[in-house]
Amino acid sequence: MKKFLVMTAALVALTSQGNAASIVNNDSEARTVVVTEGSSQQELSLAGGESAEFCPNGCFVSLSGERETLLGTEQLEISGGKMRIR
Amino acid sequence: MNKYPLDRLAAFLIALLTAAVLAVTPVAAQQAVPEIVATQQAVIADLGAKTDELEKRVEANTGNDGRLADLRIELDVLAKDLLKAGVAFRPRLTEINTRLEPLGAAPAEGQPPEAELVAKERQALLSEKSQINVLIGEAETISLRVNRLIAEIAQMRRDLFANTLSKRYDIDYALLGEVVTDLTDELSRLYMTVAAWLKFVVQYKLSSVLAAAFFAVAGAVVLMIGGGRLFGSLLNVDPADPDPPYISRLSVAFWSTFLRSAAIAVFFLSTWFFFDYFDVLRGDIGAMLFALFVVLALVLFVNRLAHAVLSPRLPNWRLVEIEPRPARLLVWLITAMAIATGFDYLFGEVFRIRGAALALTVGESLAATVIVGILLILIATVKPFADAEGRPKAWPLLLRIAFYVVGAATVLAALLGFIGLAKFVSQQIVITGAILAMMYIGVLSGRAVAEEGAFAETALGRRLGGRWRVEEATFDQIGLATSILINLFVLFVGLPLILLQWGFQWGDIRAWAYSIATEIRVGTVSFSLIGIVTGIAVFAIGFFATRWFQGWLDDSVMTRGRVDAGVRNSIRTAVGYAGVALAGLIGISAAGIDLSNLALIAGALSLGIGFGLQNVVSNFVSGLILLAERPFKVGDWVVAGAVSGTVKKISVRATEIETFQRQTVIMPNSELINAAVGNWTHRNKLGRIEIGIGVAYGSDARKVHALLMEIASAHPMVLKNPEPSVAFLRFGDSSLDFEIRVFLSDVTNGVRVQNDIRFAILEAFAEHSVEIPYPHRTLIIGQDDLARATAPADAQGSPAQEGPKPAKIAAKPSSRRRRRASPDLDLEAEADDET
Repeated sequence: MKKFLVMTAALVALTSQGNAASIVNNDSEARTVVVTEGSSQQELSLAGGESAEFCPNGCFVSLSGERETLLGTEQLEISGGKMRIR
Repeated sequence: MNKYPLDRLAAFLIALLTAAVLAVTPVAAQQAVPEIVATQQAVIADLGAKTDELEKRVEANTGNDGRLADLRIELDVLAKDLLKAGVAFRPRLTEINTRLEPLGAAPAEGQPPEAELVAKERQALLSEKSQINVLIGEAETISLRVNRLIAEIAQMRRDLFANTLSKRYDIDYALLGEVVTDLTDELSRLYMTVAAWLKFVVQYKLSSVLAAAFFAVAGAVVLMIGGGRLFGSLLNVDPADPDPPYISRLSVAFWSTFLRSAAIAVFFLSTWFFFDYFDVLRGDIGAMLFALFVVLALVLFVNRLAHAVLSPRLPNWRLVEIEPRPARLLVWLITAMAIATGFDYLFGEVFRIRGAALALTVGESLAATVIVGILLILIATVKPFADAEGRPKAWPLLLRIAFYVVGAATVLAALLGFIGLAKFVSQQIVITGAILAMMYIGVLSGRAVAEEGAFAETALGRRLGGRWRVEEATFDQIGLATSILINLFVLFVGLPLILLQWGFQWGDIRAWAYSIATEIRVGTVSFSLIGIVTGIAVFAIGFFATRWFQGWLDDSVMTRGRVDAGVRNSIRTAVGYAGVALAGLIGISAAGIDLSNLALIAGALSLGIGFGLQNVVSNFVSGLILLAERPFKVGDWVVAGAVSGTVKKISVRATEIETFQRQTVIMPNSELINAAVGNWTHRNKLGRIEIGIGVAYGSDARKVHALLMEIASAHPMVLKNPEPSVAFLRFGDSSLDFEIRVFLSDVTNGVRVQNDIRFAILEAFAEHSVEIPYPHRTLIIGQDDLARATAPADAQGSPAQEGPKPAKIAAKPSSRRRRRASPDLDLEAEADDET
C-alpha cells in the first residue's frame, strides 16, 4: 500500500503542470503575435497549426490590434485571426 | 524625513487627478463609460503614477545599494499589479467577443443595410473593446517601463559593488600628513561638541540622565539576577567534572553568552531609550552614541562568545578541543579583531555623520583593515591543537593557508590603496567568521542532540520523561528530529546572514526565498515548496482526521448500534481508504498540482498500467469485492487452498490469515475471489466433527455401537440436536471401522472434543475389554520358510476381508510374526492436529 502511495505521489509529481502559457494557431496561414514580457518586446510567429509555449511569468500579447494579458498559465488559441483564451 | 510622506501625498493627488481626468474625458465624449473600463482606468493610471514616482526615487538613490534593492521589490510588485490590471479585463473582453460573434461583420457596401439596433449594439461593443484595448496597451507600456527600471537597477547595483571594491585611493606620506592634521582638527571639534553636550546635560538634564542610568542599570541587573535565578542550574559549572556531556557544555556556553549579552543589550537599549525619552540627545550626539553602543555591545558579545566557546579557564568545558594556552591567546586575538572592526565602524559612522574629510575616513579604514589582516595572520600562527605526544599542532593546512592568504590580501589591498576592498574583506573576516563559528556550533549541537540517549539528558527531555512515560526509543527519535530541526534552523538563519554580509540586500534574499518557496521552475514545469509543504500538511491532517473518524465510528456508533463485526470491519476499512484517498486528493490540489494533467498522463499510461500492474489492480478490485460481499470476516476460520487458519486482517490488496501454527499467510485477494474458500464459521459456528475407530474382528459390534453412542452423547459440548450418530463404516483390513459423528455449537472447539472422546473410548474399551487391532505383517525370509509359513496360515484361516487378498507372498497378515507396518492406520478422515 505504501509503495502504491509513493508511486502515485511520484506520478503526480511528474505530471505537475507545465506553468508556461501555450498558444496554438488553428488557422492555415501564419500569424504573428507581439509578446511583451519583462523588459523586452518580441514577435512570435506561428505557422498554420503550429503551437508554442511562452511567457512563463505573465505577459501582454497582441495580435493585429487585439490585446490580451496573460498570467502565464493560460492556453491561447488563434482562429480566424482572433485570439481566444480557452 | 518629513519630505517623504509629502512626496507620497503629492503622487497620490496627481494620480487621483489623472484618474479623474481620464475618467471624465470619455464620459463627455460618449455618455456612458462601462464600469470596468472606468475602474481599471483609475487603477492603471495609479500604477503609472507610482511608476513615475519610483523612477524618480531610483534616480535619487543611484548610489545607495540598500535603497535600490528595496525599490526593486516595489517595482516587482508593480509589475505583478500591472499584469493583474490587464487580466481584470478578461471576463468583459470574452463577453464582448461572444456578443459580437452572432452580430457578424458590418455589411459591406452594396449589401442590404442591417437593422439599426444591430448596428448600434455593434458600435457600442466595438467602442468598448477599443477602449479596453487602449487601456491594456497603456498597462503594457507601463509594464515595459517598470521592467526596464528593474534591469537598470540590477546593472546599477553591480556597478556600485564593483566600484566600491575597485576604487583606489592614493596612499603616501601626504595622506599621512593630511590624516594627522584632519584628525587633530576633527578630534578637537568632536571634543567641543561632546563637551558642549556634557555641559548641557549637567546643567539642564542631570536628573534625567541619572534617572535614565538608574533605570538602565536596574533593567540589566534584573535581567542578570533573574536570569541567574531561572537558569542558574544551567550556568553552574563543575570545574572538577572530567568529561561533561557535550549537551551540558553547549547549554552552559549558550546561556552564559545569551544572558550576559542580553543584559548588556538591555542596558544599552534602555539607556538609549531613556535618553531619547528625556530629550537628552541633541543633534549628532544621538547617532554617534548609537553607533558607540552598537560597537560596544558587539565587542562584548564577541568576547563573551569566544570565552564561552573556548573556555580558557575550564578546559573540560570547552566546546572545541583546543589547548589551554592557545585558547587564551585566541580569545584575546578574536576580541582584538572585534575591537578593531568595531572602531572602524564607529569612526566611519562618526566621520560620516559629521561629514569629515575623505582622507580621514581613508586613513582610519587603512589602519583598521591592516590591523585586522595582521591579527588574522597572528591567528594563523597559533598552534591550537596538541598531537599524540602533546606537542602543539597548527591548524589544518588548508585552514592555515586560507588564514594567511586572506590576512595578507587584506593588508596588501589596504596598503595598495584599495580601501573599499580591504574593508570589505576585513568585515567579512570578522562577521562571516563569527557567523560561521555560530553555525559550526549549531551543527555540533545538532549532532550532540542526535546522539543516542542524549535528548533524554536535556532539561526538556527530563521534564518530558517526568511528566509522561516516554520510552527511550521515542526519545531518540525526538532527538533525531530535533537535530534535523536545529540543522535546518542553522541553515535558514546562517545562510541569509552570510549573504547579507556579502553585499546582498534583504530585499534580494527575501525575493529569492519567496521565489524558491513559491515557484521552482525546471524547464516548463514549476512547483512550489510552500505548496508542497501545504499539500503534505493538509494530507497529514486529513489522514489523522480519517483515523479519528474511523475510531469514533467504530467505537461509539457501530458498537453501540450492535452492528455485525464483519460489516463493521468493512465499513471501517472502506471509510479508511476513502478518507485517505480524499485527503490525498485535497492535499494534491492544495499543493497546486493540476489533476487534469494527471488525467492526461493516466490516460496515456493506462495501457502500460493495465499490463504492468495487472496483478495489483486485480487484487485491489478483489479487495473491494471482499469488503462488499463479505464471504468471511476477521476471526473466521477459513480454508483457502492449502492454507487453513483464522482471518486476521482484510486489506485492499491482501488478506492476512494466521494458521494454527501461528504462521501468518498474506494471501492476495484475487486468490480468495477466484478460488473456492471454505469458511467454517460463515453464518454460525455450528460444525460436525468425526472420530474414527476400529475394533477387532470378533468384537460385539452392537455393544461397541452402543458404547460409542453413549460416549458421544455424554460429552457436554456435543449438541443434542442435531443428534450425535455412530456409523458402522466398513469391514476394514484388520478391523471393523466405526465413526462417531457429533455436532458442536462451536466447531473451533473440535480438537478438544475429539481428544475427550478418544480418551473416553479408550477407557470404555479397556473396561469392556474391546480390542483395538492394528494390521499385522508376516515377514518370510528364504524359500523354505515360504512353504512352511503359508500352510499353517491357510489352515488357521485369516479373518474375512472385504478387499482382495494381498497378492504379495512376502508379506501376509499373520498372528505369529508381528511387525508394525504403519503407526496410524487410523481411519479418521479429517486433518488431525489443527490447534
